Amino acid sequence: MNTNSNTYTVIYSIILVVVVAAVLAFAAMFLKPTQDANVKKDTIGQILTAATFAGVEDAAILDTYKAEIESAILVNLEGEKVGDLNIEDCEVYGTSDLKKQIAAEQKSLPVYIFKNGYTVVPCYGAGLWGPIWGYVGLEKDLKTIKAVCFGHKGETPGLGAKIADEPSFAESFAGKTIGEGEILFEVCKPANTQVDAINHIDAISGATITSQALGFTLNQWFGFYKNYLAKNAAQEVVEDVVLDVEPANTVEE
Amino acid sequence: MGNIKETFLNPIFKGNPISVLVLGICSSLAVTVQLKGAFVMGLSVMIVTGLSSLVCSLLRNTIPNRIRIIVQLVVVALMVILVDQVLKAYAYSVSKTLSVYIGLIITNCIVMGRIEAFALGNKPFASLMDGLGNGIGYALILIVVAFFRELLGSGTIFGFQVIPDAVYEFGYANNGLMILPPMALILLGCIIWIQRSIQKDLQEK
Repeated sequence: MNTNSNTYTVIYSIILVVVVAAVLAFAAMFLKPTQDANVKKDTIGQILTAATFAGVEDAAILDTYKAEIESAILVNLEGEKVGDLNIEDCEVYGTSDLKKQIAAEQKSLPVYIFKNGYTVVPCYGAGLWGPIWGYVGLEKDLKTIKAVCFGHKGETPGLGAKIADEPSFAESFAGKTIGEGEILFEVCKPANTQVDAINHIDAISGATITSQALGFTLNQWFGFYKNYLAKNAAQEVVEDVVLDVEPANTVEE
Repeated sequence: MGNIKETFLNPIFKGNPISVLVLGICSSLAVTVQLKGAFVMGLSVMIVTGLSSLVCSLLRNTIPNRIRIIVQLVVVALMVILVDQVLKAYAYSVSKTLSVYIGLIITNCIVMGRIEAFALGNKPFASLMDGLGNGIGYALILIVVAFFRELLGSGTIFGFQVIPDAVYEFGYANNGLMILPPMALILLGCIIWIQRSIQKDLQEK
């Protein structure tokens, strides 16, 4: 057979591509559940890090989460609770779920409240090369940041990737607070900052776009949670009111 | 059979793809900060070179000459994606550390170089051995470089601390330069230097 004829070349390439595609599709389907479980575990690991449980062994992540979580709820922009996340199944919002919330009109934003008093809220946005995301652990006043954990899909190693790799960057968030007014949080050069340094983090040298993107993302998501965080300062009072109302309703019925 | 043994062993030392052919330098700089990453990377490259050489050798009489590079690329890409997917499923933390570098195995000159130079003109078994041999040769250099970088840069081997705390108390400090890519290049230079002093026939006149 003439292996150099045009017909042969075209047919050969078509068959080759179809066979390769079939093999890849099969492999992807077969491995998907395991990969998803890994990604979920990784997400929970990041949430735990933000709640000060850093460095939990891979195998112990799910159990630690179940043991330490107080409640995992979904809230809307007004800060009202709109749903629950199943703790027994370790249900969490992954990056794709977070992405949907940015454009959604009726947002359901996850809040993870831990038994040790820290509340973890996520953020998600566009970095330089791909998405960046993170989890911010807040103290009981819901203003002071205790710990953070950031992740990214493909920021430049050694530069933008430092948001996840460089411990000192994450440590610099500890003790900072979410500001008030237009700028809730900022990541920039100290010289550029217009606001009180208490809600400002030094940007990473050489990673201007990633740093700006992170600042924008944090600002946006703190904005989403603004009402929830504000309400939570008076949370106990609100709960009392709810409790008072409910019996009243029962009586009327 | 002696020929096949030679095919397998030659690339491991005498014709090592990194230290003699100077192929695949980029990835050997990038993933040798820690032994674990270097080990998995070496293993992945070994599987990719071995299997792609085998498949290309099986197809060698059917491949249309004009699109042979594309066919090789498709086969290599298939193997790389499979390795990447398997790592994501069963070794997630390592796959996270190696991030883009697993996907970049496809650009590793060793893989395409061996297919083009060897697999297309030899029988499948010999090609498999040639691929595996080159992969092992690559892995070997990676592991040697990573051993020194991890030992001197972080004081650990496979993540376990080997330099006792007492030594640190005497004022010993980890060498930060070892963590950075330039040191990998310098170590690689040293390896090539040593190999050339042993193998005199490699020296240019």
